[in-house]
Amino acid sequence: MPDLMIILLAAIFLPLFPLSMVFNALFDKLKYAWLRVLVLIAWPLIGVLIVVKSNSSFPEWIPEWVIPLALSTSLLYSLRLLTLRDVNQWSGFLATSLWALLWLPLVQGASVNLLVWFAIGMSLPLVLLVLLSAFLEKRFGAAYTGLYGGLARTVPRFTAILITVIAAAVATPLFPTFFILFDMVVETLSIMPLAAMVLLVIWLLLSWAGALLVQGLIVGRESKVKVADFNYATIGLFSIALLALMISGIYTGMVIL
Amino acid sequence: MEQLIILVAVLPLISAVLIQLFDGHLGRSTARLSVAITTLSFLLSAVLLVMSLTGSESLSLQLGNSSVILLFDPLGTLLATIILGISLIVHLYSVRYMAEEAAYGQFFVLLDLMTAALLFMVVAGDLITLVIAWYLVGVLLYFLLGQDTRSQIAYRFAFWTLITYRIGDLPLILAAALLFNAYDTWSLSIIFNEITTNPDAHQFLGFSLTDVVAALVGLAAIARSAQFLLHTWLPYTMDGPTPVSALMHAGIVNAGGFLINRFAPVFVNSGDVLNMLFVVGLLTAIMGSLLMLTQNDIKKALGYSTMGQMGFMIMECGIGAFSLAIYHMFAHGVFKGTMFLSAGGVINNARDNDGIPKDELYTFAVEKQPNKVRKPWILMVAITLAVPLVILVLAHLLIAEDYFQKQGAVILLFFGWVTGAQLIFATYRMRTQNIWRMVGLSVLSLVVVVLGYVFISHAFDLFLYPDPAFRAQLYTAASIDILRFDVLVVITTLIIVSGWVVTYYSEQAGYRRQKNKHLWLNFYALISREFYVTDIYTRLTRLILSVSGRLNVWLRWL
Repeated sequence: MPDLMIILLAAIFLPLFPLSMVFNALFDKLKYAWLRVLVLIAWPLIGVLIVVKSNSSFPEWIPEWVIPLALSTSLLYSLRLLTLRDVNQWSGFLATSLWALLWLPLVQGASVNLLVWFAIGMSLPLVLLVLLSAFLEKRFGAAYTGLYGGLARTVPRFTAILITVIAAAVATPLFPTFFILFDMVVETLSIMPLAAMVLLVIWLLLSWAGALLVQGLIVGRESKVKVADFNYATIGLFSIALLALMISGIYTGMVIL
Repeated sequence: MEQLIILVAVLPLISAVLIQLFDGHLGRSTARLSVAITTLSFLLSAVLLVMSLTGSESLSLQLGNSSVILLFDPLGTLLATIILGISLIVHLYSVRYMAEEAAYGQFFVLLDLMTAALLFMVVAGDLITLVIAWYLVGVLLYFLLGQDTRSQIAYRFAFWTLITYRIGDLPLILAAALLFNAYDTWSLSIIFNEITTNPDAHQFLGFSLTDVVAALVGLAAIARSAQFLLHTWLPYTMDGPTPVSALMHAGIVNAGGFLINRFAPVFVNSGDVLNMLFVVGLLTAIMGSLLMLTQNDIKKALGYSTMGQMGFMIMECGIGAFSLAIYHMFAHGVFKGTMFLSAGGVINNARDNDGIPKDELYTFAVEKQPNKVRKPWILMVAITLAVPLVILVLAHLLIAEDYFQKQGAVILLFFGWVTGAQLIFATYRMRTQNIWRMVGLSVLSLVVVVLGYVFISHAFDLFLYPDPAFRAQLYTAASIDILRFDVLVVITTLIIVSGWVVTYYSEQAGYRRQKNKHLWLNFYALISREFYVTDIYTRLTRLILSVSGRLNVWLRWL
């Protein structure tokens, strides 16, 4: 297959604008949480495998213009995150912004194992977020910021998990995404200083978007409609998942840094 | 000993985990558990501090095969003890103060996590731990300030804090990445040793790496310590709980001074960056003090007061007085923490009795009615200018004869002289029968303060930087061309003395007869709008959000 065709195909799975819209259109159409989870896990892995396995001269065959386009895509989606209110759409945009950054280690010729772990590490917090979003849709009819607010008073146990998951998604220490982005900055700075600066701006925008999402959901007076909070079993499951995520983050840090 | 080091750092984390796990069962006892563990951690760190004071070597501990290193050197040990001491007071205060809050247990979890993050920050012996702790302090502060989840306002300003702190994280991450790429290690000790051996070994984009790293670390410190243009979050974050305000003003905001001290081996080779820090600190001190004086909201005035103090702290670093910045941080922390924690009690007492004596001090300080004419003024001018200078010079001669050879020391003396002269000048203008008694008391208090300050700051100097050659190097690095320095000192002196003369004559002539009334009103309007800095940031934020919204519409939300 010609290189350009491979790039175009890969640009759908490791989103490069405007082909990134394909993923977001598809993600928006998915109505079941388990399908969203599946897509979030599989999508970037397919992209990584396409790029790595389709041409034996990896990574030399990847054209140079991919990096500016990948950074622009990530920057574009992180900027657009700021005004999104739908939690599912937010997850899709964040995934787009993060996965586009996978082109950086790809171009630098990182090992397949590392690339696969980067892709999974970026997606796992989003998987949890999609599951939490399903909870909101079930209880309130929609997972939307600013619509009901006050979740911290209405469903405090759910809120504690939600905040931690959003923190994990926007690359807060000690979760994997933090170490992945940190490593990308370290690796990129010496060869592409400007790209490293853009990476930091993207990281800042992600934090901003995360804070807006948290505020839009948890702040406000207690809802007059009584809704059931997470039971202890669900809390336990999510806590174990988050703990595992944190441990894997620390492990990632120890291995790659 | 290794267990002791780990315990000090990890105990607050254990406390947070225990409270999180057993909050439902323990109820209000969670606070007691948190206080007990913080007390234990404080006592252990005090033991380490005593050991360090009695001449023990710095302790360094690497956790397994990881890059994580805990470094209990004089700076880390001293700050760990201060942090745990302040945290313990805040814990004790919060036990009753926060008792009515719905998320009582959650508050102590956050408080313990914050204590742990601050501890890891000051004892971090490697860049990764330092960056992580530095980053987490901002995140945890965001949630502590937003403790009242019903308040949109509290979260709005907590967000300002978060975003400013995140802006400050970025240069530190860059500095860490640059240092790792150059020296292939995360260990601060190894990096500093390499830099000391050969400061100009590496370059980045044509600049000396040491200068670039110093500038980046300086930027991180500027954002964290609310320096001018990155200060707006500080005066507005007053909607958080009082214990959080106390912790923030007494400890967290001082982190910039700590960071500069931690990277002292880098800054000692970057004189230009130190000069830049001096300018930023000076500007912040002036702006903070100016804005504090014009506030009619006491809490915002306290916020701007902290900003001014942070300006002084950064300025001290900028002149090479690194250990003095740590002393300043400690003294200001105790002072401001006390103010915040006693605010509730004062307000409560004032409801029954305002407790303000209607005496000369009240007339002068609150009603702003100074004595317009007092003689003999020539003698008073001489006393005002000469006495503080004599006190300062004699006090400093006691600790080091060569003290006046350092430019930084001269600048400190200059500020001390201005402050002392201002005190005596103000005393002279008070309406009182026995003016010489008042002046005598002022001079006496000045002597006590100056002697205390000189000896304690000298003790900090010896403890934190025992190598006299390194101390001298810091002052030398911060020095500028002697002619330029002398000209600046003379110009500044003239400006200040002219200010006093103008104040004196304008008071004699009456405030209301000023010729440039419109000019002053415009100036007051500018200050009351806080130089429009917050307005500009708000506009900028709206612009970015508007671009984001438009992009989403144009691209059909895909």
